[in-house]
Amino acid sequence: MLEGKFESASLMKRLVEAIKDSVKLCNFNCSQTKGITLQAIDDSRVLLISLKLDPGCFEGFRCDKNLVLGLDLESLSKVLKQGNNEDYLTLIAEDAPDNLLVVFEDPKKDRISEFSLKLMDIDSDVLSIEDMDHDCSITLPSSDFAKVARDMRTLSESLQILVTKDSVKFMASGPIGTGSVIIKAHTDLKDGKESIKIDLNKSVNVTFGAKYLNDIVKASTLAETVTIKLTNKIPALFEFKLQGGYLRYYLAPKFDEDEE
Amino acid sequence: MGIRGLNRLVAENAPKAIRSNEMKSFFGRKIAIDASMCLYQFLIAVRQQDGSSLTNDAGHTTSHLMGFFYRTIRMVGYGIKPCYVFDGKPPVMKGGELEKRLKRRQDAEEKATKAKEAGEAQELQKFQRRTVRVTREQNEEAKHLLRLMGIPYVEAPCEAESQCAELAKAGNVYGAASEDMDTLCYQPTVLLRNVTAAESRKLKIDQYDIKEVLKGFDMTIEEFVDMCILLGCDYCETIRGVGPVTATKLIRKYKSLEKIVDAIKQDPKSKFKVPDNWPYKEARELFLHPEVKPGSEINLKWEEPDVEGLVQFMVKENGFSEQRIRDGAAKLKKALKGGTQGRLDGFFKVSGSVSSGKKRTASDSKDKKKKRKTGRSRR
Repeated sequence: MLEGKFESASLMKRLVEAIKDSVKLCNFNCSQTKGITLQAIDDSRVLLISLKLDPGCFEGFRCDKNLVLGLDLESLSKVLKQGNNEDYLTLIAEDAPDNLLVVFEDPKKDRISEFSLKLMDIDSDVLSIEDMDHDCSITLPSSDFAKVARDMRTLSESLQILVTKDSVKFMASGPIGTGSVIIKAHTDLKDGKESIKIDLNKSVNVTFGAKYLNDIVKASTLAETVTIKLTNKIPALFEFKLQGGYLRYYLAPKFDEDEE
Repeated sequence: MGIRGLNRLVAENAPKAIRSNEMKSFFGRKIAIDASMCLYQFLIAVRQQDGSSLTNDAGHTTSHLMGFFYRTIRMVGYGIKPCYVFDGKPPVMKGGELEKRLKRRQDAEEKATKAKEAGEAQELQKFQRRTVRVTREQNEEAKHLLRLMGIPYVEAPCEAESQCAELAKAGNVYGAASEDMDTLCYQPTVLLRNVTAAESRKLKIDQYDIKEVLKGFDMTIEEFVDMCILLGCDYCETIRGVGPVTATKLIRKYKSLEKIVDAIKQDPKSKFKVPDNWPYKEARELFLHPEVKPGSEINLKWEEPDVEGLVQFMVKENGFSEQRIRDGAAKLKKALKGGTQGRLDGFFKVSGSVSSGKKRTASDSKDKKKKRKTGRSRR
């Protein structure tokens, strides 16, 4: 029996909205100790999503037996849209479930809505992700990053990121012209979340597909800051910290043939 | 052409080895394509409404140019980097097969003439398609076109399929594309089918993983090749009466063709008869050690298309629409820019798999099982 109760439905709502354009079908792994985890890779095998919701993310969490719930995110999104952000949200599944029960409770109006979502049989590969040492780590307000990613996409299908000691330069060049945005490290004393932090071991020059970055920044509603870890020629990590968990994206870079 | 029944046999014995994917999921991949097979395909399939091939003003066929141009651009549009491999001289062993093909073609030609006289349009089309043969000029034209498009090609010393496989093995490309199941015997890491199929057929690309194929059959590559020879390849005849089922059984029992041949010869009651001077050893040798150019000596490079060259060749000489050719060239150019999208596969290894279906089958009680069944059917 799985029973996970969220204090507000907004977390799940935002989560599913953030990732449903990248992956369609995924397996949610549930266990008493680890909470709910998910690993999914997009069809083109360029972007990997790793989600962890510790039991601490929930107001109440109980999972008697490890469960794998195969869900169609499109359907889950439809159901989650039925609830309000402030509603309590409870996910319930039996030990050998055919359905996932999604329950919303409106605390003020005493209204309870209940949905039963059919589960899917999904086979998915699990990739082992080793902790990698990255050449640089950037933490910045997620909304800032989202704006850059969205703006630059209008210029080009690729976004180049250049990181030097105290600045990050985003560059795009396309048929209509070129553009660049430079951000510098700074500490905002009034609001720490507005600070930009750059840790650098080695300068980095990487290029990513703008489409994927735009998928990633859909998660910027989940956390105020995003941490980006980059190394030349290996997948980058974009992490959005959640209360008691994380949503991570691993994105393979683009590269030029000739450089090899 | 091809090995009879191998496709079905693989599907039965090694279902895990076959994956069907959308073409777009192969983006960023380099793929070696059997160009000689494409030439045939295009000459046969790319036709006008009335069934005659496309021609330029001088009456020369241009079906193959159309095919190479548009299908290549389609692949490139999906981010795939194609490289073509052309047949060299056919192996001596293939003489018998080639003779058969020539005969078949002559037959078809006769029938085509008859059909024409009788005025049966459909029959005529059918047989005309069978009379198709690729000329040296068409080969050269295709190469010329690819050069102008900036798409690399390799001239195989011998068979194109084996060279494709070599490129895949050596890591020059991700996989070998051919419709011919023979290619599996040359052990490309990955064999792709339907890559050059017409878009309108909406076929998914079937991907065969040779390691999984062998695992599924529980055979070594030598045993697998022997089995394919029994099934019937281009290089030698088969033992009459041995079909896919018997072939698998025999290989499983005796492990090699030598022993099978011995066993049949020693057993006077055997219903099989081994052909005289059966050159199975030579055939096997051709599959296991084909004559190829080593991948390490080949450098594949995708370059900017020569737009003016393309216009000259395709529009002025062969009567294609200038607008379309220019649009195509622009697509080629665009795809070349901005680098190749890398994939995660190379960095993260698959460490296992999770299945939401299996977990549920793992539970025991009976009434739950019933429920489960309905659950699945509701999908």
